[in-house]
Amino acid sequence: MKYQSINYPFETGDKPIDKEAVLSVRNLAISFKTDAGYVRAVRGVSFDLYKGETLCIVGESGSGKSVTNKTIMGILPKTAHIDSGSVIYEGEDLTKVSEEEFHKIRGTKIGMIFQDPLSSLNPIMKIGKQITEVMITNGNHLKNYYNDLINEEFIAYKNDQRILQLEKETCHRKVADLKKQITAAKKEKDASKIEEFNASILSIKNESKEKRAQIISKIKEDKTALNVASKEAKKKVAEKRKGIYDAHFANLKSLFNEHKSNLKKFYDLFLIEHRRFLSEIRVTHKEAKDKALKIMAEVGIPEPERRFKQYPFEFSGGMRQRIVIAIALTASPDVLICDEPTTALDVTIQAQILELINDLKAKRNMSVIFITHDLGVVANMADRVAVMYAGKIVEYGTSNDVFYDPRHPYTWALLSSIPDIDSKEKLEAIPGTPPNMLFPPVGDAFASRSKYALGIDFKEEPPMFKVSSTHYCASWLLDERSPKATMPKIVSTRIANNLAHAKEGK
Amino acid sequence: MEKIELIKENLDKASSIKDIINSSTLDAASLFDKVNEYKDIALSAFPLPINDSKEGRKYRVKIEKEAYNLFKNNVNKPLDETSSSYLDKLASTLRFAKQSLSLYGVTYDQSLVDNHIILDVRHLKEFFRAGDYKTKAVHDVSFSIKEGECFGLVGESGCGKTTTGRCVIGLYPPTSGAIYYRGFRLAAGSRWNEKEIKWSKIHVKEEIKNITQEMNNALSDANESEYPAIKEHYQKLIDERKAYIKEHVAEQKALIKQIKFDNRHSNPRLRNEIQMIFQDPIDSLDPRMTVEDIITEGLHIQGSYNKEKNRKAVEDALKKVGLIPEYASRYPHEFSGGQRQRIGIARALVMNPKLLICDEPISALDVSIRAQVLNLLNQVKEEMGLTMLFIAHDLSVVKYFCNRIAVMYFGNMVELASSDELFKHPLHPYTKALLSAIPKPDPLSEKSRVRQVYNPASSHDYFTQKPTFREILPGHFVLCNDAEEAKYKEEIAKLDKEAK
Repeated sequence: MKYQSINYPFETGDKPIDKEAVLSVRNLAISFKTDAGYVRAVRGVSFDLYKGETLCIVGESGSGKSVTNKTIMGILPKTAHIDSGSVIYEGEDLTKVSEEEFHKIRGTKIGMIFQDPLSSLNPIMKIGKQITEVMITNGNHLKNYYNDLINEEFIAYKNDQRILQLEKETCHRKVADLKKQITAAKKEKDASKIEEFNASILSIKNESKEKRAQIISKIKEDKTALNVASKEAKKKVAEKRKGIYDAHFANLKSLFNEHKSNLKKFYDLFLIEHRRFLSEIRVTHKEAKDKALKIMAEVGIPEPERRFKQYPFEFSGGMRQRIVIAIALTASPDVLICDEPTTALDVTIQAQILELINDLKAKRNMSVIFITHDLGVVANMADRVAVMYAGKIVEYGTSNDVFYDPRHPYTWALLSSIPDIDSKEKLEAIPGTPPNMLFPPVGDAFASRSKYALGIDFKEEPPMFKVSSTHYCASWLLDERSPKATMPKIVSTRIANNLAHAKEGK
Repeated sequence: MEKIELIKENLDKASSIKDIINSSTLDAASLFDKVNEYKDIALSAFPLPINDSKEGRKYRVKIEKEAYNLFKNNVNKPLDETSSSYLDKLASTLRFAKQSLSLYGVTYDQSLVDNHIILDVRHLKEFFRAGDYKTKAVHDVSFSIKEGECFGLVGESGCGKTTTGRCVIGLYPPTSGAIYYRGFRLAAGSRWNEKEIKWSKIHVKEEIKNITQEMNNALSDANESEYPAIKEHYQKLIDERKAYIKEHVAEQKALIKQIKFDNRHSNPRLRNEIQMIFQDPIDSLDPRMTVEDIITEGLHIQGSYNKEKNRKAVEDALKKVGLIPEYASRYPHEFSGGQRQRIGIARALVMNPKLLICDEPISALDVSIRAQVLNLLNQVKEEMGLTMLFIAHDLSVVKYFCNRIAVMYFGNMVELASSDELFKHPLHPYTKALLSAIPKPDPLSEKSRVRQVYNPASSHDYFTQKPTFREILPGHFVLCNDAEEAKYKEEIAKLDKEAK
């Protein structure tokens, strides 16, 4: 059978008709700078996250699944460098957004849950304070009003600064690469090449200088615009503040005149009025606490009133993970990224947490990216599955596609290496270890560990073949010229058993 | 008289076998059989049960030595593989006989050895104290492992399965209960006996108080002339109680003394036959030691300082776990997670263990590596004839690996059965909850899976009768009371019907 190939890192195949993409990642490549050189952690990843769906990313550690998601959250370490690609969210490219703009997205629109619930909570701070902390620190209404007024100019200014920085970095990196080649050429004593490289360095530097000059002039314009906007905004904020204070004092005066004789009643009414006044200026502690208690009840913590005052060490592992989820939910994000949230928990607690995430997803119509290496969890959670290996997506499809019709040898190996409850045959372990990403392998990265490897796997990278409209796989085995290969017996018998079970159930 | 004749007969027989062995040339297998026959007959010539007295154990060492020498002198030289393995077997039995001589006085249970039970844990309790707060990590756990068996301990985190494993290897002294290894009591706790002394004293005091009260009542009712008779009667009762408590306390104190003696005299060589593989391959290896140092550390503790011999042992161990001998000079940080776990396994195997305790050896590893380590453990088990105590929280792994499985919940064992039986007839509600929580790599069944929740307060009624550990089917034990036992039996009948 002949399968068509698609131009993978730049397109992700057919889009489902009734789905709306919330987040789309295109041709993302990230490398880390180390003493030994650049580690290519992610090498061209593309996927779409659809509204109300769960996308599971599976792969062994070091395959780049966490790095991809850290890029989406904008929390990459300083040593990381985005080589290419984009992350489009609400029409904006998150890889080129300034830190200041990211504050408005991170947490509020995209939330994240981490692997170890103990190390992501502060041990010397009460749980209640940790949940309400965000609400209170971001709760100054007047400040928020000011930020909203100058938002456009401010972000344009900061984004241009970021672009300038990125331009500097890329220029620097290009020059460094060329200099390395020059030293190599010097060893070979190839004078013509050295000259060539020197010339290209000069041209790169000049180009970058021109670009930088343009950007700097733009930044100057931005700054003047920002100054003007902030002056106006300050005036508006002062007016608003004055309005609030005036109304407050007027209310107090009228209250005092009414209840001159009964001072006790006046005091009670004064407190109510004062609270109203405070809530117009900022989020009060009581408001924050009420909201926190509501969310704690929603994530299934019994007696939230009592638990609100406790420290993290008084919680069990599962409860701690619930708290972390509650903190992520306070800002009601559209996209929730779960980075192995159940790996540190045992089976029963894991089942509870998975149920909770599924419930919340359905209730709030969230989209979830779920990272894990446990295929059982994937089967439970996923609508779509992406299998990652050595910084690339090797297979991509709905969960039924991947579990009942796997095509890539790596997916076969993963499925055959886990013990199954229903059978007791010998497991087929994956031999060897993952490749060293300092020197990413040429061709198919899994070839050296696969017994299905073809000659071409070591020379040329396989294109993404379209198996069905939802199912894509990058393996030379799907090419029409390749010899016919079938999946290991252990996997095929399991799939047949599972399908038979499903039929019986119906 | 008959006995003496029998002994004489046996001795004659033994010497005749010895002569046969010395005079004729046999191949290794038949020579080994003959030597064993000689050993059996010579040992049966001892008039008393051989392990009960010091003389008996001395005699056994003598016979074992003779048997070893007989084999060594008469076997064809140079030694080939099979004959050297036979020689090793004889040497190990000789070593064990010497150990049992040095362990004279330590509590010994012959029936365990006769039933091929290598490890027996009896009513183990382990409490941890922090100030006034007592954590009852293990409350009452009893099980026994036969030779060559793989025994699985399952339960959620914090249920005491790791503590049980650590008690067996001797990292924690047991609070109460006993651990028997190859018939010898390795460790025991005296808490139960101390409490018994305390409470029996209190009870007897109360009884005496009641008796004196009765006596006073009787005295106030009676005439003065009857006083001595009444007093004598009650005094007799009181003396009886006092004598009883004296005897009882002496008995318990003797037991405590024996426990302390056993704990003091636990033989490190015997203990070396139990080894452990730890959960976290990163934390359990010292980052400042090379692989060779890590693996030879145990050998040094055992007392073998011969450098060449040790190096050879390290190389063999590394080969056995699928690593190259050249890795010996490297440091742990140079290895991946799976390789580090292999080093951990090599460290345990270099001591030639008989019993291996695996404390969640694969839960900290990557999925693709897990299968490698599981296959390695399986292979090692078959090659070395190991007995294993496998601790895990993942039932699918345990089912794949173990012959028998015990389920633990909050320090108690709630169910024990062979692995097929446990999955066929899960009876205790906690086992059911655990089984229903395992995620399967199968989306269709996974979407329709109903998880059962275990709530001890609502699923048991233990106010009327306390539960005990009972055998419901042959080899299938459950913690239950009478009402539950009947219910479980019905359930089994129903499940069997459905299966048909």
